[in-house]
This record gives sequence, structure tokens and C-alpha cells, in this order.
Amino acid sequence: MKGKNKEEVRRFTEMVAQKQGWVLSQDTALYEDLVTGLMVNWNRYGYFLCPCRDSEGSREKDQPIICPCIYARPDIQEYGHCFCSLYWSEDFARSGKSPQGIPDRHVEG
Amino acid sequence: MFDYITYTTVEGPRQAHQVEVYALSTCGFCKRALEFLKNQGISHRYVHVDLLPLEVKNQIKEALRSQFNQAVSFPFLVIDGKKALVGFVEAEWRKALLDQ
Repeated sequence: MKGKNKEEVRRFTEMVAQKQGWVLSQDTALYEDLVTGLMVNWNRYGYFLCPCRDSEGSREKDQPIICPCIYARPDIQEYGHCFCSLYWSEDFARSGKSPQGIPDRHVEG
Repeated sequence: MFDYITYTTVEGPRQAHQVEVYALSTCGFCKRALEFLKNQGISHRYVHVDLLPLEVKNQIKEALRSQFNQAVSFPFLVIDGKKALVGFVEAEWRKALLDQ
């Protein structure tokens, strides 16, 4: 399987953000770290596992946390950004706030 | 806490607590959390859980969950083997590690 490079991953995140009406992290250092994490996960597992969550060992088990994860929309609505802080709401981007860790809906149920 | 895994140790002048971090090598907030500890000179040790074999990491996650009665996500900070903080919120880490 051919691996992905950072440019391909950046394009993927741009496509997701555009489709969902989100904006990409305005924290450029964090954004680049997350792009690298997504690239590593694609090249390791063969799918875009959320870089801030651990694989449970199979694509089937990881399905809810494949980027964009199923928790991104409610997290962006409640906190202004997804668990990783890769995707932001437009309001959060305008607020000038810094992202921070938020509860993980995936493990907390 | 777990003698069967290898931690990376980072020494610093602040040694008031025994600090352990369970992190993911791919996670942005994990990286920020480890940078915070280093920049504050807090001695700590950490392990990238995603780089461990599946059985080992599952064993560790279960042990953390059961010991601290807390869902495990990353970064997972353990202070003196007794207190856990989940996720990196700098103000909370600062309060737990730097306030006397």
C-alpha cells in the first residue's frame, strides 16, 4: 500500500473542513503536528485514525474514531473544536481563544 | 507504575513529585504536555502507548482505568502514583504540579 505524504494529508483535512463547514486549526504548530500524526496513522494502520486516540486493534473497532470522528460535530458545537483541535468552528476561530484538552466522548460514553 | 515497560526519563530541577505521562506519539496535546513539563523543569518520565504491542498497551490502559476509576484518554498524567489528570489543560497541570 502506498503511503501518504503531508501534502496529501493537508488536502484531506482541507476537504473535510470545507465539506463540513469547519475551519482548520489556526494554531499552525498544532495543525502541523496533527497532520504529521494523521500521516503516521495512515501509514501505520491504513486509515486516518484520530491522532489523539489510540487504536483498539482493528479498523472495525476504530471506525468511530476515524477522522473526521463521529464526535467532531458535537465537540465543535460544545467546545468550538474537535477533540484533537484539528477542526474548529468559525466562531472559535474568530474568538482568538487557544484550544485546550476537552473530555473524550469516545471513552467516556 | 509498570515495571514491564520502558519509560523515557526527563530530568529537571523540579522534583517535588513523581510524574508519569502516558501519551500518544501522534497527538498534538500530548506533545504540548510533554513540552510544558520540560519547559517548567519538572522531572518526569513518559511512554508513548501507541508504540507498545497491543496486549501490553491494553493491559496498561485497563490498569490505569481500574486504579484511578477514570476513562483513559491521552495525555494521562499520574502524580505520585495517586492522582490522575486526563487531557492537557495547562492551568490544571500547573495547579497540580507547580502550586505549593
